[in-house]
Amino acid sequence: MTEVIRIRNLSKSYNNRVVALKKISLSVFGGECYGLLGPNGAGKTTLMKIIYGKAKYFTSFDELSVFGYNPLKEDLKIKCLTGIIPQEDNLDEELSVFENLYIYSKYFGMPKKESEKRIEELLEFMDLKEKWNVKIRQLSGGMKRRLTIARALINKPQLLILDEPTTGLDPQVRHHIWDKIRKLKSEGVTILLTTHYMEEAYQLCDRISIMNLGEKIIEGNPLELIKNNIEKYVLEVSSKLVNRNLKIPESIRKEETEEITKFFSEDYQSLKRLATKFDNSDNLVIRQTNLEDLFLKLTGRKLYD
Amino acid sequence: MINVPFLLKRVYSVWYRFMKVYTKNIFSNGFEPFVEPIIFLGGIGFGLGGFIKEIEGIPYIQFIGSAVIITTAMFTSAFECAYGTFVRLTFARTYDGIISSPVSVENLLIGEILWAGTKGFFFSLAVLLILLMLRIFSSLRVFFIPFIGFLTGAMFAGISLFVTSFVKTFDHFSFYTSGFLSPMFFFSGTVFSLQQLSLPLRVIAEVLPLTHCIRLSRAIIFSRWENFIFDISYVIIGILLFGFLGINRIKKRLID
Repeated sequence: MTEVIRIRNLSKSYNNRVVALKKISLSVFGGECYGLLGPNGAGKTTLMKIIYGKAKYFTSFDELSVFGYNPLKEDLKIKCLTGIIPQEDNLDEELSVFENLYIYSKYFGMPKKESEKRIEELLEFMDLKEKWNVKIRQLSGGMKRRLTIARALINKPQLLILDEPTTGLDPQVRHHIWDKIRKLKSEGVTILLTTHYMEEAYQLCDRISIMNLGEKIIEGNPLELIKNNIEKYVLEVSSKLVNRNLKIPESIRKEETEEITKFFSEDYQSLKRLATKFDNSDNLVIRQTNLEDLFLKLTGRKLYD
Repeated sequence: MINVPFLLKRVYSVWYRFMKVYTKNIFSNGFEPFVEPIIFLGGIGFGLGGFIKEIEGIPYIQFIGSAVIITTAMFTSAFECAYGTFVRLTFARTYDGIISSPVSVENLLIGEILWAGTKGFFFSLAVLLILLMLRIFSSLRVFFIPFIGFLTGAMFAGISLFVTSFVKTFDHFSFYTSGFLSPMFFFSGTVFSLQQLSLPLRVIAEVLPLTHCIRLSRAIIFSRWENFIFDISYVIIGILLFGFLGINRIKKRLID
């Protein structure tokens, strides 16, 4: 497999004061979907910005290459092969859907005929065909997001970088965008994304890494990560029902907040037995653990904003 | 294998973007830079012109006319690269979008400076055509003036980029517009002759960029070539210097 992105011991600070990344190493291989997860301030966006040459100063590394190019020096070459979807849409509000795409194609030096053909394909692909002549102002948030994705695809990128592609969108649009990302992946496009939605990472990513405070704390396939790093089941109970003196077996791990107490275990039956000790069974649930449980286990519950 | 578009193509694509966005609302965008100099010309030129016959041996209406062709270029490009640039840099994040393509910050801002110059050219030309219609000028060589409008636009684009690179909120621009552009408008030989000023004020006027642009305009219209080399050198160095400083400082805000 080709290594599209290769990073070894990358560190970055802002103005030599605020440390954003601490000795990150990471490889993204051709055709895979790789997700970066982590609380705000974990360094996900900074890492992406370095990959496409938007962040360059105060970096140090042993190796840093994207398609074999150094993003600090050869970022234009990288951007010829890459599509970038930023956290916030930055379309030209005064222009129409078509004009936005057409002008963007000019930045890539595409000839008129070719870009018109490509725009038609993309509007079809992102289901925006009827909107081709509509001004950006008149589009909904979801349409703008889809157009931003279409714009990033104008050059038929081999690598697609998505920074929180579905934040703030309704479930319909989110699933629509997920389908498109899957389609692109099936066509061999390498995908790097950040997200705060564990479901998104779980649905789309072959591999993820969870970052915290500028460091990569864990990496792997989402299912495998859950399997290897957190108990299989969790019992959630309203904290009011939990007696302070409640004795729990050693095989069960307890995590509590003021409102909810969670009991984690590999064994479903032992949680079921524990559940019988709480008199109000409406306020409890036993379920399989998920990526979110793992995420919180690894990054804690402290607020980072 | 990878074909990064040629430098000129990249710069042109940015220029093209600005042209498309601007001409989308050409009438509302163009109203102010087109109408204001005409109003000024009418009010001051024809109004005061009734009392003042000549300045520096030039009929007053022509004296004013030769200046407003240039000041319109200054204002349109200075505002474009102050307020406009600030919006593109912050709220609209237009620049982030552009530099996500194979266009560098340098390509982007050079394209923008050239666009500001182009605006300077066209507004100089538009006002000039009115002056020709009003028969204030008749010589054909006035058609060289829009090129001075281009240089004026490009220089003030650079100056504005440089200023904008320091700006944190919209309100800061009032120091630039009311503290620099407006006073300069009056102290660059627009409405009165600099020769009547005391020496210290004349030195200050010589430092102001607009002085040189207006003198270039008068050099062409009235064949007053004494300072031509000095003025044109000032303007070209001004474009390069402020363009360089502006680009480098805006770059620090775009690249982390």
